[in-house]
Amino acid sequence: MFTFALPLALLLLIGSTTATGYLPGTHVEGQMIFVPSIIAFGVIVAAYVNLGTKLATLRHDGVLKRIRTTPLPASAYLSGVLASTAATTLAITASIVAIGAFAFHAVPRAGGLPELAGGLALGVLCFGSLGLALSSVASSAESASPIANASYLPLAIMSGIFDPTFAIPHWLSAVVGLFPVRALAQILQQGYTPVAHAPLTDLLVLLTWTAAGCGFAAWRFKWH
Amino acid sequence: MSTAIEVCGLTMSYAGRRVLDGVDFEVKTGEVFCLLGPNGAGKTTTVEILEGFRQRTGGTVSVLGMDPRAQSARLRERIGIVLQECGFPRQARVAELIDSWRAYYRNPRDLEDLLKVVELARDRNVQVRRLSGGQRRRLDLALALAGDPDLIFLDEPTTGFDPESRRRCWTAIENLRTLGKTIVLTTHYLDEAERLADRVAILQGGRIEVAGTVRHVARQARVKTKIKFAAPERVLDGSLAPPRCLDVVLSGEVAVCQTENSATALRELLGWAAANDLGDLDDLSVETPTLEDAYLQLVTGGTN
Repeated sequence: MFTFALPLALLLLIGSTTATGYLPGTHVEGQMIFVPSIIAFGVIVAAYVNLGTKLATLRHDGVLKRIRTTPLPASAYLSGVLASTAATTLAITASIVAIGAFAFHAVPRAGGLPELAGGLALGVLCFGSLGLALSSVASSAESASPIANASYLPLAIMSGIFDPTFAIPHWLSAVVGLFPVRALAQILQQGYTPVAHAPLTDLLVLLTWTAAGCGFAAWRFKWH
Repeated sequence: MSTAIEVCGLTMSYAGRRVLDGVDFEVKTGEVFCLLGPNGAGKTTTVEILEGFRQRTGGTVSVLGMDPRAQSARLRERIGIVLQECGFPRQARVAELIDSWRAYYRNPRDLEDLLKVVELARDRNVQVRRLSGGQRRRLDLALALAGDPDLIFLDEPTTGFDPESRRRCWTAIENLRTLGKTIVLTTHYLDEAERLADRVAILQGGRIEVAGTVRHVARQARVKTKIKFAAPERVLDGSLAPPRCLDVVLSGEVAVCQTENSATALRELLGWAAANDLGDLDDLSVETPTLEDAYLQLVTGGTN
């Protein structure tokens, strides 16, 4: 429930106060950036935070160990977990798109579907694999949630997820650009409005982090 | 009777240290087989190899006719495993959880039937976290049975239980036996092994020290049968000596005779009593060796 509530609440709260009107010096309306940014935020909460803490809890409680005693193949179980994460993400996204359209008149642009769908799919895969990695790092269920929040929240703020006008120094912006949070947000923003970004760089960043997350999870993922 | 498990010359080394050093035993179909041994003897390693969780270093292992490591997916369809300290999803309810577990198997056992075997039918809608320790253990059992396995591994099923919960868990395990399931049990409780197991094996120093029925193990351990009776007054005051050919020791007012052949000793004792006009020996009892006596004799070299 919280996974749903958080992105939707932030969308309504922040959206109703700041995200309207043209962004300074551009012809881009704030909500056209803000709404897809919150979609990215929803992906991160569902696939990274929620999946990571859920798996850490299941491992801590010994449920994963018990599942290993059944004939269910490990790959089938993990795919199932990822699929249910994808379904949650899709539902959150649908809610955000609907609220964005009705409350803030932010509608995806015609022809923006490839960016939205591709961004979502890649986002779930990337942050899902990082969620798997997170659950392997956390030594207990209790430590998974703080680690998750401490790792993505500063990046989300500096990536302008909650405030498109948020300004940071150039060097910091370059560093933030190496992480998948802003990369995902920018790809999704392309689905709403064509802005001058470097979609190939963003794609490369996401793919690199997906590979890193999968690699780390394969190396360190434990069933007990 | 066919064979469920066959282990031959099983060896296992961790980082050059040999944990199992040529383990041999077999488990027949439909029997309750108990693996005993001190901590560190290799029980857990042996069981994990049988379950397909660990790759052995050497030897041959056949579980239900399969190599547990090479055919682990197929094997898991037909075995049930009750591990120590395995948790449940936090919000699940009893029947719901069992049902979701049934979905992992191709030929699951009927839900009502499962609830009945482990005596949880009345608790079917209870949240798992509200169950008592004994109930949780029986739920463990139900989940292990969800796929209607032919072979069940039970790892210390009643550790830390009060006598009432132990008894109910034992009843559930005995129910399984009547269903014709083969059961491999590991436990630290020798009374539990004695009550449940058809045959036991004692693992020590990476080898099977002895295997067989409790009677057989006791004979192998050369534990003597104790014949006890109230010492007659003339024996107590020293005017009459007990039969010389028997090993009789006075312990307070009780005479204890230790023997390897209880029938001969009894005949001797009763003859001696009749010859000396002692009448019937009061409080006469014959205590056959328990598994505990045999185990202690074998594992620690005898403490009593």
